[in-house]
Amino acid sequence: MAISLSKGGNVNLSKEAPGLNKIIVGLGWDARATDGAAFDLDASAFLVKLDGKVRSDSDFCFYNNKVAGDGSVQHQGDNLTGAGEGDDEVVKVELSKIPSDLDKVVFSVTINDAEARRQSFGQVSHAYIRIVNEEGGAEIARYDLSEDASTETAMIFGEIYRVGTDWKFKAVGQGFAGGLGPLAISFGVNV
Amino acid sequence: MNIFKGQRIALASLFENNAQADRFQVGLSISGNKEAIDFACFGLDSQQKLSDDAYMTFFNQPKTPCGAVELSTPVGDTLGFSCQLAKLPAKIDKLVFTAAIDGSTSMGQIKDGYLRFLIGNQEVARFAFSGKDFQDEKAVMLGELYRKDGAWRFSAVCQGFNGGMAALVKHFGGEVAEETPSPVSTKLSLEKKLASAPKLINLAKKATVSLEKYQLQETVARISLVLDASGSMMTQYRTGKVQEVIERLLPLAVHFDDDGELDVWAFSSNVLALPAATLNNYADFINTADDGWRNWGMMSINNEPKVIKQVIELYQKTLLPVLVIFISDGGVSRNKEIKDLLTGAACLPIFWQFIGIGGRNYGVLEQLDTMAGRVVDNCGFFALDDLNSISEQELYDRLLSEFPLWLKAAKNKHIL
Repeated sequence: MAISLSKGGNVNLSKEAPGLNKIIVGLGWDARATDGAAFDLDASAFLVKLDGKVRSDSDFCFYNNKVAGDGSVQHQGDNLTGAGEGDDEVVKVELSKIPSDLDKVVFSVTINDAEARRQSFGQVSHAYIRIVNEEGGAEIARYDLSEDASTETAMIFGEIYRVGTDWKFKAVGQGFAGGLGPLAISFGVNV
Repeated sequence: MNIFKGQRIALASLFENNAQADRFQVGLSISGNKEAIDFACFGLDSQQKLSDDAYMTFFNQPKTPCGAVELSTPVGDTLGFSCQLAKLPAKIDKLVFTAAIDGSTSMGQIKDGYLRFLIGNQEVARFAFSGKDFQDEKAVMLGELYRKDGAWRFSAVCQGFNGGMAALVKHFGGEVAEETPSPVSTKLSLEKKLASAPKLINLAKKATVSLEKYQLQETVARISLVLDASGSMMTQYRTGKVQEVIERLLPLAVHFDDDGELDVWAFSSNVLALPAATLNNYADFINTADDGWRNWGMMSINNEPKVIKQVIELYQKTLLPVLVIFISDGGVSRNKEIKDLLTGAACLPIFWQFIGIGGRNYGVLEQLDTMAGRVVDNCGFFALDDLNSISEQELYDRLLSEFPLWLKAAKNKHIL
């Protein structure tokens, strides 16, 4: 049974699933039933050092740079593989491959063109992030953001980070003003 | 206090000093529109459906039965409601405030408007919007009050439908009166057909209400039932609950199918095609068909793909539409296989209504409704704590709500 986290909560993934190496990070939300301007949501991952910044732009994993962090993080784009069933976007992470000078992987979702379309996360229903053990497919942790999302147009859903030799996952649920550009800049990416 | 589009906030925090207020007003106004705008308040159940029409409050129905929501327009507003949430029955989970344009213009053409909260005629919070927040929508959900962890919250939804009030009502699972009169039934009434089965006769009326509601009186179809018979279901069999399911479903088979037979499968790790249940053998079916459930060789793990394949095989050449009622108590793990099978079966005249009962981890079954890559949406899913915990009327309603949508879509795509 997966652990369900609330905003700010965390879980030690290495203890929940001993020997954990390859994980699937699934991000999802409900397709909406209403009309009006279409929603275009993009997931991204930032691999950052202890100071919260990327080493270089190649540590920023998004739709135009699907492999980051020396191959340790792979954006699967739309869920075409069948892995991470039901997720809208899937990022695969191989923990043992994450370079030792990187400390954290931050997963975010941004609404494309939100300002012009006057959209925000409060209008997206049932957004979540979940961590799945690629081996065996068991879900280890899940965080449902619904009530933590409001007028934001960019949101950090969650992050995985090192604690000694273990990896932990934290449910962040924090909004960020602006879109993907400003978010990337805050992590030290040159946009 | 200002509320912004998309914002979600605790209702009490909108009221500030009046956090304990047991009565407040919602005022609505839209300006710059050439045509009349109708406002309404929909009281929805936890499935986000208008299961009780009495909870739609508007000019023709100014008050909910409980009196919790009542038309009452604050000075200066176009329309409004007086709300006493404590009076609402527990089944009402959400109040949605809507606006619909009756005419050719859309919400994108309005100038501006607002939804505001008042306590004792004093405004305490306001959500303002303008035509720029919309495109071609004709009916919109402006905002909603909903229960969350025992408290009420407000969400500035500000989304809607180009199809106007009819699309909105449909979204809430309600009916829209069709303009064409329904044809006179040529079928023998269900009550007459069930005359030989006194135990089922009281179900006839309830089933008929649902069949009429979804305009299925004239539909001819085959009905089949797939029963989870994995080990975790043992109590449900032993205590007669599965037998009750058969009794509740048989009237539908009698209605839809001219031979009046309910095709029945049981599955666990293996699959067993049971003799069809009919008005002649339904009594004690579970304990008598094929020597009774204890002798079916079931009660092991669950293998859904295997039974799905057999069902497809039997019905793939049929000319009649088939409604498969598939009961699972969860623990579904063969997600990829199930998804592939059902995606492939979307071109067949089979609709799959999955019902999750008393279990959890329904896996891919819960996502079938929105699964992409199919010609038509050929699956429905709903979960119940206990198949016998809801009323017969509600069971029929839920069983039959998605089937007609599929019938229509399948006809359009020439699957039927």
